[in-house]
Amino acid sequence: MAEEKKVITRRDFLKAGACVAAGGLMGIPVLRSPADAGEQSRVVLVRNMDVLSGNGSIRSDVLHEMLDSGLSALLETPDGASAWKRIVRPEDVVGIKSNVWHSLPTPTSLESAIRKSIIYAGVKESNISVDDRGVLNNPIFRNGTALINVRPMRAHHWSGLGTLLKNYIMFTPRPSDYHDNACENLGALWQLPQIRGKTRLNILVMLTPLFHGTGPHHFSKEHIWNYCGLILSIDPVAADATGARIIQARRNLFFKSPRPISPPILHIAAADTKFGLGNSRPEAIHLIKLGEERDILV
Amino acid sequence: MKARSILIFMFLIMGSFFMMTEKAFADSLDELRSLLPVSIGEWKAEGEDQFYDPRTIFDYIDGAGEVYRAYSMRRCLSRRYAGPKGGVLILDIFDMGSSEDAYGVFTHDREGNAVPLGQEGLYNASWLRFWKDRFFISLSDETRTDSSEEMKGILARKVSELIREPGRQPALISRLPFQGLETGSLRYLHDPVILNTHFYLSDENILHLGSGTEAALATYEHMGARLTLLLVQYPDEDKAALAHGSLMKHYLPNADREGIARLEDGKWAGSGRRGRFLAAVLESSDRETAVRLMAEALESAEKQ
Repeated sequence: MAEEKKVITRRDFLKAGACVAAGGLMGIPVLRSPADAGEQSRVVLVRNMDVLSGNGSIRSDVLHEMLDSGLSALLETPDGASAWKRIVRPEDVVGIKSNVWHSLPTPTSLESAIRKSIIYAGVKESNISVDDRGVLNNPIFRNGTALINVRPMRAHHWSGLGTLLKNYIMFTPRPSDYHDNACENLGALWQLPQIRGKTRLNILVMLTPLFHGTGPHHFSKEHIWNYCGLILSIDPVAADATGARIIQARRNLFFKSPRPISPPILHIAAADTKFGLGNSRPEAIHLIKLGEERDILV
Repeated sequence: MKARSILIFMFLIMGSFFMMTEKAFADSLDELRSLLPVSIGEWKAEGEDQFYDPRTIFDYIDGAGEVYRAYSMRRCLSRRYAGPKGGVLILDIFDMGSSEDAYGVFTHDREGNAVPLGQEGLYNASWLRFWKDRFFISLSDETRTDSSEEMKGILARKVSELIREPGRQPALISRLPFQGLETGSLRYLHDPVILNTHFYLSDENILHLGSGTEAALATYEHMGARLTLLLVQYPDEDKAALAHGSLMKHYLPNADREGIARLEDGKWAGSGRRGRFLAAVLESSDRETAVRLMAEALESAEKQ
């Protein structure tokens, strides 16, 4: 006879003594983790306030430098170029999974920097493609051997946050199949044949993250701020969990009291505990900070 | 400064009321569309109007579509107005199929200041919205200017006037105990994820919520104690009994004979059922107040 699934309730979290102030993930902490005894995940947070000019436009050269220095720190290489050579091989077919959400898309200058770095690492230009909503019909993504996952973090109506984990939802023809229970099972996407084992690098864009959403369009300039950061990791869960802590801290600051991300972001913890994709607990993450430390929030 | 801009905004809305003289009304989204102004001052409708249904809504507003689907949206009409300095204002009119669900989706986000629009209106962070009849209306822009704020007020008033009749609030709301109710906290919902958004209860749908059930969530203040009350109306008694059993089993297994349990943070929670109604005090700083509110809620629900 099948064992009845244990229902996790608010009381389990109360038992665990979880609260936002204690550093839990939006008041919904991880109760258990298969990675408990495992290694820490390396995550690099690189910030440079000069990446945005006075009018808010992105300085491409600064962004490219942040990307290279971040990757080099992540992989402990002498420079960005050698780090990229460890991320891709010349024979790779590389899909750069971007995000086109109109209010806060992946910056084209970042897509371009990644593309250039990959070409410099020896991959043929014709074997690289940047895409979001067209990935299912894009031959590079269909035949790809490597994926680079890159998107901005933002508040999200149904999943709590738009994350790296969620960025792969376009690999399914029916994204709404993953919307149950606040998109808790997004981690399952990462087992799809087009994705499984192919992600070489995750880049969470934290230049102007959206920490709170209002209205059907879920965007207001009042709810973004110049954080000027990038988060890089091989582990998407650790990168998302780190970004989520920053968003939570910013919300608390802005609203002048704890304001948990809503709906609770179940999918990050589930990607750790249910799907074993990585580490979500701060103690299982080795966070390397580069650059600006003021108002770092984590 | 913020208070001043809200005052100015409300003045614009009130002012625009007197500018409206048309007597045309709309009962459907298509009629409403045909009566919408093509331009107001220097602001002009831009591009084709777009219609979305529960399937295509994702193409328009991404995962946010789930909120409207959770309230059984039928269709959404979207029109963009372009302003004199490159600004764009977005008017979205959701036909929710019933006034109850128009009210429900309005209560999903209650942040902001009340504005006299439709049956209830709110404004914050450049977002103006209201509900009337079975419609939920949203006006937003990404680059707020004095001109776009004025335009929003005028257009909102116009849309409100075009909708002939007011709709009914869900009957369940009137079944809630009135004393101590913080009206700004009221939410009306059917979906467990919507409940979890406002009060995280569990990872499973232990209350058996769904399109056939109605739930009202509200905060109360009674003699210094703060309480969160959930009142659910099920289609029949059997379904209510099933949900009540599930809640007691998964959430309140240590409840006493009155259905009250001490939570791990020292607060109290409890649940009771009468007929097809379930009342749950999800959180209370005081035991006796929780018992009283639960009893009041069940009595008030059944009486009407």
